[in-house]
Amino acid sequence: MDCEKFDRVVLDLLYDELDVLTEAAALRHTEHCTRCRRISSELRATREVGSVPLLPPPDSLQARILDNERQANSGLSLGRRLGRWISITASYAMRPQLGMAALLLLMIGGSLLLLRTRPGERDPAQLSARGAAEPEVEAPRTPPLQSALPAASPPPAAPPAAEQGAIEKAPAAAASAPPADVAPESADELAGRPSFDAALEDFEARRYAAARSQFDRIAKLGGPDAALAALRGAEAWRWSNGCAAAAPRFDDVTARFGATHPSIAQHATWHAAECYRSLGQLDQARQRYQALLASGTYGRRAEGALASLSGSEAAASGQAGAKP
Amino acid sequence: MTAARQDATDEMLMVRYQRGDARAFAEIVERHSRFVYNFVLRTVRDPAAAEALSLEVFFRVVQDAAKFKHEASFCTWLYGIVQEVCTSFGRHPSGRAPDSVRARPPERPEMPHAGAPQADGPTSERPQGAPASSDVGRRTLEAIDALPDDLREVYLLRELSRLPFREIAELTGAAESTVKGRMRYALDRLQQALAGFEEYARALR
Repeated sequence: MDCEKFDRVVLDLLYDELDVLTEAAALRHTEHCTRCRRISSELRATREVGSVPLLPPPDSLQARILDNERQANSGLSLGRRLGRWISITASYAMRPQLGMAALLLLMIGGSLLLLRTRPGERDPAQLSARGAAEPEVEAPRTPPLQSALPAASPPPAAPPAAEQGAIEKAPAAAASAPPADVAPESADELAGRPSFDAALEDFEARRYAAARSQFDRIAKLGGPDAALAALRGAEAWRWSNGCAAAAPRFDDVTARFGATHPSIAQHATWHAAECYRSLGQLDQARQRYQALLASGTYGRRAEGALASLSGSEAAASGQAGAKP
Repeated sequence: MTAARQDATDEMLMVRYQRGDARAFAEIVERHSRFVYNFVLRTVRDPAAAEALSLEVFFRVVQDAAKFKHEASFCTWLYGIVQEVCTSFGRHPSGRAPDSVRARPPERPEMPHAGAPQADGPTSERPQGAPASSDVGRRTLEAIDALPDDLREVYLLRELSRLPFREIAELTGAAESTVKGRMRYALDRLQQALAGFEEYARALR
């Protein structure tokens, strides 16, 4: 990367809107270029110190907003009121505890109904020549379930270069030592495995829907690119569907790869924190920033982000405390 | 508010509200009203108008709730409404609030500054011994208010509303490169305003 390109991407770097590779290249550039390092540092300092102070709204604002909402909806027809009642009831029914209880009752009831049969209703079992019972109906052969994600395991025989500073695609040499936690892929799976490079090309061309589909599949299949593909997939979700869809995916990357790919996990944690902040979930954001304080790459940024959060809230509470 | 609702995304809350769950709307208001109020305040620079317009924004959210598509970003949709409401305010020569909103009688239109105690009124001097951060906050607000409208809009959308540049470009109708250019100018001006502060020098290290 040169200074001209750095100038084009510096804001994306400042606001974490860069893809992993470009960000790594930009950070490497600042290590060697005094000018660009100064620009990056000044912009970051400006953002940290000059965060917009949040003033508290009038005390009754929320109450009046809700009052307006009630007034607006007070003239609902009977049909809409019934629909609302059904919706609220359904929202209770969707709670996990009720769902689990309903599932348990269904299982118990189903077992009582289906397992108990009267004598004579089923054909007797047939015996083979060896005297072993043959199944009456051959069970259909189902393909192996691929929904289970590989559990975190000791790192495969990947070279150290895959985890140094910049997050880069693992070199092809790592593929020669398949990780122990992933079952050998069938020929069909190998034939259908999306290409990381093709997914990356879609990502850089902003075809985020196609990119995330491929990255998600690569991450699910495992292998040396799984961690980076999971991260890229989450980023693609962010740019295509927003932080609401992306934040839990970033958390999933951290959970899955925190032990084996710490730098990727830190990157994911940072993005999750930024997403939660944008969603207004400040406690969630704060937790993730705090988790990054010990990080070499993100520690200082996390400090700044926490200070920014505290500064905004302190300014707001200081303003509120000064009122008569 | 239940833990389940606290973990729900804005888009999920809107879907629930579309289905009639008024508590989902209450959660949305709790999350966003402060940011909306501050965005409007920094845009129109009139506290009384900002309060009335904030009410109008959420009234529009209620009216247009059925139009929200859950695949879209709620924040982008919300701040599109904020923009429309602020623009409508600007077109009223008297700056009066729309009739659909029950607003308080207008108060003195002085701008509160971060760190300055409101009890003494906006024209009194800052009491001695106030923390330096209040000076930085006040200077920051002054610098933001002094920005040209197009720069301030982009700056607030990025810093306050935390919308990515791509969505800001969609909202403003400008190219993404133009949006970034405005953001850079805004940050440069802010940097000039803050360069003399100790906090800034400390942050540079």
